[in-house]
Amino acid sequence: MTRTFDIPIGPLHVALEEPMYFKVGVEGETITALDLYAGHVHRGIEYLTAKRNIYQNMVLLEHVCSLCSNSHPETFAMTLEAIAGIEVPPRAHYLRMIADEIKRTASHMFNVAILAHIIGFDSLFMHVMQAREIMQDVKETIFGNRMDIAANIIGGVRYDLDATSIAFLLNQLDQLEPVLRDEIIPIYATNRSVLSRTKGIGHISRADCVDYGLMGPTARGSGLAYDVRQVAPYSAYGEIEFEAQSLPDGDVWSRAMVRLKEALSSIAILRECVRRLPPGPISAGPLPRIPAGEAIAKTEAPRGELVYYVTTDGTDVPARVRCRVPSYMNWEALKVMMKGGHVSDIPLIVNSIDPCVSCTER
Amino acid sequence: MIGEFFRILFAVLVFPGGLFAIALGLLLKGVERRLVARLQRRIGAPLLQPFYDLVKLMGKITFVPDLADTNVFLMTPLIGVASMSLAMAMLPIAGVYAPSPMLGDLLVLFYVISLPALSLMLAGSASGSPFGAIGFSREMALMLAYEGPILLVIVSVALHVGAASGRGPMFSLAEIVQYQIRHGPLILDWRMVPAALAYAAFIPANLGMPPFDIAEAETELLEGPLLEYTGASLGLLKLASAIKTVAIAGLGVALFFPNGPGGVLGVVAFAAKCLVIVGCLSVLKAAVGRMRIDQAVVFYLRWPVLFGVLSLAMVAIHV
Repeated sequence: MTRTFDIPIGPLHVALEEPMYFKVGVEGETITALDLYAGHVHRGIEYLTAKRNIYQNMVLLEHVCSLCSNSHPETFAMTLEAIAGIEVPPRAHYLRMIADEIKRTASHMFNVAILAHIIGFDSLFMHVMQAREIMQDVKETIFGNRMDIAANIIGGVRYDLDATSIAFLLNQLDQLEPVLRDEIIPIYATNRSVLSRTKGIGHISRADCVDYGLMGPTARGSGLAYDVRQVAPYSAYGEIEFEAQSLPDGDVWSRAMVRLKEALSSIAILRECVRRLPPGPISAGPLPRIPAGEAIAKTEAPRGELVYYVTTDGTDVPARVRCRVPSYMNWEALKVMMKGGHVSDIPLIVNSIDPCVSCTER
Repeated sequence: MIGEFFRILFAVLVFPGGLFAIALGLLLKGVERRLVARLQRRIGAPLLQPFYDLVKLMGKITFVPDLADTNVFLMTPLIGVASMSLAMAMLPIAGVYAPSPMLGDLLVLFYVISLPALSLMLAGSASGSPFGAIGFSREMALMLAYEGPILLVIVSVALHVGAASGRGPMFSLAEIVQYQIRHGPLILDWRMVPAALAYAAFIPANLGMPPFDIAEAETELLEGPLLEYTGASLGLLKLASAIKTVAIAGLGVALFFPNGPGGVLGVVAFAAKCLVIVGCLSVLKAAVGRMRIDQAVVFYLRWPVLFGVLSLAMVAIHV
């Protein structure tokens, strides 16, 4: 007897941190159809940006998404700096990268922890979250906040690192790195519980990644080594050597491993940034009048390429702010990944694209 | 006759079923939660948290969903609790309690302990929720996979005890316990070790614990069959699962290691053995993730069946 029925995953579901509705058609335990419904938390942020001045927008855009909360205002500031020709001082570039990488490490570890939670491996979930707490402490100590760190201003950054905070940062990195490198990564790479649930699940080919325009670790897990930090270096990423992480298999496990390795490489980048941190001012100082114009900027948010397009009309209120978030394209790939999958793998596959509903529904 | 009736009633409602099993079961749940928390570097809930939870749930209103079949929906938690209390009354505790022969033998007990899983399936399908339906199908698949090996275990033990006492298969649990008190626990008999292992593998699946908490998988099915339950009904389901912990651990104790002192010390020894079993389950819970239903079914049709057949074959050859 074959019986097909729809199961509603969401809008509220244990495995989803944010509301998204998946109408999954199943036949027994096999997925036959998938429909996505979004819009439950749409806040009209792009519209609101046209009602606020650029300073207020920096605050507003920080609230697009808590996990990429550094990338949004940073990219927005980069567009304005391009329009007005503001020269960001070198020290500010490095401080921006430091803020970026701290957020990236914490974000990737969060996603990988949730993976463990979804497969019911709560001990591993707790372990990764406790390790992530080391990075959370860094954010709280240096920036004064655990998620929205408000590091960026137009023309630079708002925070500076002195000898004490650098020592603290390095000390925290020394604590986190061995845990990540010697404990967490080997567990994900070898533990049978993890492997049997994630290997070969939610497969997407490199060609499909290109077709769907996938971004970030989701694409890099399929061997598409596209990392904005490398293909179009911003801030001072061009001066630092690091490798774009990618794995060829295109399954849930590969995407998780890419994130873990990126977290590890972020730690190396952080050390390098601190070592090279040039002296000088941390911002461009008083802003010039922002002229009419348009600009585009892109950065590598934890979830992939984040693009901002801004038009200004000579006032301090931008005429149009448009952002293209990585999660938007990644959602569509779920239809490919879930084809023929099991019901038990739905939350796992959804989590593997590290979906950000608040980015999608800004 | 009347005396026998009251004796059974007492056994079902007070000791070892009913109150005793509830108290021990909830305490074991509390220990499990606390132990798992400590293994995960958390503080964990107070030891008595399951009692608090139960009291709170019992005071709440049960909400019956529109799509649910009201009678079945409300009846199934009761079946779960009742069958488990009955199962406890059928379990002998060495030196403390011997069940009335009127209650039936090991085979009856085997069916009684599968009732909560059946009631959970009914609950899932009666709730009208698609998650309940998937939980139902998973519970059924899992049950079909683990019932076979457990039957092999029961038959091995019955054959072994029967042959050793010069009779046919011995399905009376009281006799099995008596045999072990005279000749030492079966777990020390090498022919029975595979059967004990098969039983050990059966415990987490029957109790719905990791890695076999597949039917209730919180992050996949939002507790599956339990999803639509609220208030006192949910409390009863939790209660049934608490008593079941004692019953399944208790059956393992009775089958393989019932030996212990008499009187109050015997009760303490029984509780301690259950505690050891739950401790092992907690370590397992902290150490592994959840299996997928197909992986779990394959697991049960491979290892426990193999061990069960191994024990059975060895017992049969020695006959």
